[in-house]
Amino acid sequence: MDQFWNVTSQLLEGFGENCMLFGVTILVAIPLGLIISMGSMSKFFPLKAVTRTFVWIIRGTPLMLQLFTVFYVPPLLFDISFADRMTAAIIAFVINYAAYFSEIFRGGIEGIPKGQYEAGYVLGMKKSQVFFKVVLMQVIKRILPPMSNEIITLVKDTSLARVISVIEILRVAENFSKKGIIWPLFYTGAFFLIFCGALTILFRFLEKKLDYYKV
Amino acid sequence: MAFLQVQNIKKSFDRTEVLKDISFSLEKGEVLAIIGSSGSGKTTLLRCINFLETPQAGKITVGGKVLFDSDDKSKKSDLEIRKNRLHFGMVFQSFNLFPQYTVFNNLILAPNLMAKEQIKQNGEYMGAKTYKEAQQKINEEAEALLKKVGLTEKRDEYPCNLSGGQQQRVAIARALALNPDVLCFDEPTSALDPELTGEVLNVIKGLKSSDSTMIVVTHEISFARDVADKVIFMADGVIEEEGTPQQVIENPQSPRTQSFLSRFNRFSD
Repeated sequence: MDQFWNVTSQLLEGFGENCMLFGVTILVAIPLGLIISMGSMSKFFPLKAVTRTFVWIIRGTPLMLQLFTVFYVPPLLFDISFADRMTAAIIAFVINYAAYFSEIFRGGIEGIPKGQYEAGYVLGMKKSQVFFKVVLMQVIKRILPPMSNEIITLVKDTSLARVISVIEILRVAENFSKKGIIWPLFYTGAFFLIFCGALTILFRFLEKKLDYYKV
Repeated sequence: MAFLQVQNIKKSFDRTEVLKDISFSLEKGEVLAIIGSSGSGKTTLLRCINFLETPQAGKITVGGKVLFDSDDKSKKSDLEIRKNRLHFGMVFQSFNLFPQYTVFNNLILAPNLMAKEQIKQNGEYMGAKTYKEAQQKINEEAEALLKKVGLTEKRDEYPCNLSGGQQQRVAIARALALNPDVLCFDEPTSALDPELTGEVLNVIKGLKSSDSTMIVVTHEISFARDVADKVIFMADGVIEEEGTPQQVIENPQSPRTQSFLSRFNRFSD
């Protein structure tokens, strides 16, 4: 029993790293994704080409490779290295998820019928008013299901940070297994399940909240 | 000079000429019906008048004020374009109500934003000195408009719970809430079931009064005949024939108008 509590507390500590990576990625990647989506919808061709190429590269390569790149390439090219491995993980995750989010936002924004904008314009609204007062709520409703999917994937992806030696939950469990204690490895699943379960309930609640209108 | 003066409007998309030199005028309180087959440029004309499209050439004047002149090369500010738009109201074929707002909030959204902005700038919105006072006026006006289109009891419903005809009546009230000089209808009943068409046409008919000027693009020939003071028949981007309903609909001179109308008469008689 003592061993169980000892393992649990150590895994919990590791899971704290996962949660931190998750939280910071969400907070930074959502606004960054919005900016990238604006770029990929831009009428200015060079900007559009650059952002779309960026999104293609990020979505077309493994997140694990991106983690290695962020962690190892700057020290090779310049004389800097990451004092904190977590910082490197955060940078890689933010870039990766911002690219995915940007495509969800783009789909959501482009899916709004032109008539909604025009109805706003003929009523004398400014472009910004049309976006914030008319379009945005409809976009949010549209992107909620794909966003919840992506965010739940992010929870589990955080364990990839162990490839650059961030001591997250799976890394902690692996350390136990090296000492011959295998079961904590499988026990980690419970932590992810509970976290994702809570998120699922939260998103279902949000979707219900927006059920009063149809887009 | 007529109240609304549209002169020499030309509009092309890429190399397709959609409007080839369109001119017409309308007096205050008159109803103009624009008829013609699909692709004749009716909708594009209405969109040019509402500044949703910018014509390559032409001039638009309302009440003596020039709102658009292609010879004036100075770039219009966003604010100017928005102000010019307010001379016109637009009712779309597909209603375009804002789905996340109730019927009532659809009506007051734009006026409230306008009031806030104008009170900040000029200290006044339609006689109201404070935003609160303006809001009260806007609310009263919106209630009156809902009554006018017969939807007072649907005040707090969301658009998705209304029939197409009811949605279009809300859209009409929403356009009226900003007191436009000229109200434009772009095939307002084309997306409706036949049994819902009547309620919308009746509302439009009910709006006809000495000071409401309207332009209705429509396929409802009998409505054009009964309600319009003036009818324009468009074909291939030009005005093929124009005049009173008696002239254009009962007694068309142009062979194209005759053949267009004969297709309708075959069904209606």
